[in-house]
Amino acid sequence: MNEVLKVEGLSAGYGPLRVIHDLDLVVNPGERVGIVGLNGHGKTTLFYAIAGLTGWQRGSILLTGKQIGRTRSQGPGRYTHQIVRQGLAIMPQGDEIFQGLTVEEHLDSGAFTPDAWRTRKERKERVLDIFEPLRKLMRMPVGRLSGGERRMVSIGRGLMTDAKLYLADEPSLGLAPKIGMAVMEALLAINLKDSAMLIAEQNVALLEGKVDRVIGMHAGKLKGEASSSFRLSGNR
Amino acid sequence: MDIAFIFVNAITVAAIYGLIAVAVSITWSSLGLINLAYGFIYSFAGYSAWLVATYVARQYLDPALHPFVIAATGILAGALGGILVCLVVFIPLHDKPAFTSRGMIATLAISLIGSQLLLMAFGPTAKSLPELFGRWRVKFMDITLTADKIGIVVCSALMLAVVVMWMRSSRRGLEIRAMMMNPHAASIVGIGIRRTGIYVMALTGAMAGLAAVLLSQTYFISPFSGLTPLIKGVSIALCGGLGSIQGAVIAAILLGLVEALTNKFMGGQYVLMTQFLFIILVLIVRPRGISGLLDKAREQ
Repeated sequence: MNEVLKVEGLSAGYGPLRVIHDLDLVVNPGERVGIVGLNGHGKTTLFYAIAGLTGWQRGSILLTGKQIGRTRSQGPGRYTHQIVRQGLAIMPQGDEIFQGLTVEEHLDSGAFTPDAWRTRKERKERVLDIFEPLRKLMRMPVGRLSGGERRMVSIGRGLMTDAKLYLADEPSLGLAPKIGMAVMEALLAINLKDSAMLIAEQNVALLEGKVDRVIGMHAGKLKGEASSSFRLSGNR
Repeated sequence: MDIAFIFVNAITVAAIYGLIAVAVSITWSSLGLINLAYGFIYSFAGYSAWLVATYVARQYLDPALHPFVIAATGILAGALGGILVCLVVFIPLHDKPAFTSRGMIATLAISLIGSQLLLMAFGPTAKSLPELFGRWRVKFMDITLTADKIGIVVCSALMLAVVVMWMRSSRRGLEIRAMMMNPHAASIVGIGIRRTGIYVMALTGAMAGLAAVLLSQTYFISPFSGLTPLIKGVSIALCGGLGSIQGAVIAAILLGLVEALTNKFMGGQYVLMTQFLFIILVLIVRPRGISGLLDKAREQ
């Protein structure tokens, strides 16, 4: 009963296209779960479905016991802000950022709960401790940052509230390997306490041995599962 | 002397239409709605101010307070009208297909229906507001500045400054700016489209309401008096690059200049013609408006 996330029979898609097929997933408190799969197999759509951002969806999604999924066919994003406010931190893939806002305003926008807004100064400090390079960029519009810095901003924004579930969508995508590694390190360094984290990733090597579980995703379904001690076959 | 006079007139006109243009621009970029109901909001605010001026202020209030009460009524009524449009059009329609064109048609319908209702309620006789700024005048170099011109420019500049400051410093302003830049990402950080919609429409409605009170210093209030400001506001916003505040201000000043020059050299009946010619020329040279490149604004 105290799972952070419990997904049952989730299907989701856009218009006539069905991307996720009857998917079940359970994530327990304190867990870091890696979701691995190729492009176009539904990792991002799974995250979007949890946030209510897909075109349509059906099936049950329980976030700490509260129903946030429902059958809906209305436009995307109608309930997203309510779902997000129940304790979801989304660190989206790519450039889901506000081009003209400065880094500081960006982090502020992430502190959307009343409590987080009141303590946003300390929270910003904490984020800056993790992402040291952002400290001198606070007054820079995000549109002028490099890819790695943007990713740090978008992850930092997700860390501004106390979420129950963190969704990190391909944190290393499009980054130089070294920066991608650093970003991943930062994600793994977050103290989860009783919250949980889902990381979607194509590069399995980055997750290897660092997350509690790795689940494969193929053609809109979760396939196969490996525990924390998994090793890539044929690797060293 | 002549040039300075033309310039003063241009700035006065620009100040009023600029307010509506900025309102159109903000609504478009944050909500994706081209609000054509400002015509109604404008007349609504004008009539509310007139009601308060004749039935409340004149009987019960100290004359010194009148300008403030009337201006505040216009602003409040405008904000109320904006919220009404938001509730009737934006909230039911915003996630339906083809929202842009539907929203335009629905707001235009509100504008027409609202104006007809005002016509039924108040009749076709135009009303006029008392003078808000008095009758004094200032000689500056060799131009005479009348009180209403100074008052109009100062009030709208003040309103614009307050709006921009509020958008820059407050939390709601941050939310609105976030939505202007990326509505999708905004919902990810817990910004509700519908709630922000109400703030945006109240704010922009208040701007239209103030414009109504200010313009009533020059023109009369009638059920359809909002039409010209609406057309000018929308076209200035288009010319400046929809979604850009700087662009709208620059375009308002340029079009004010065109209007003043036309008034001076050709006559008032040609104003709309020269203005639209000017807008067409600008859009041929810069299809995304004057500040289409300065600002990253919503494109669809």
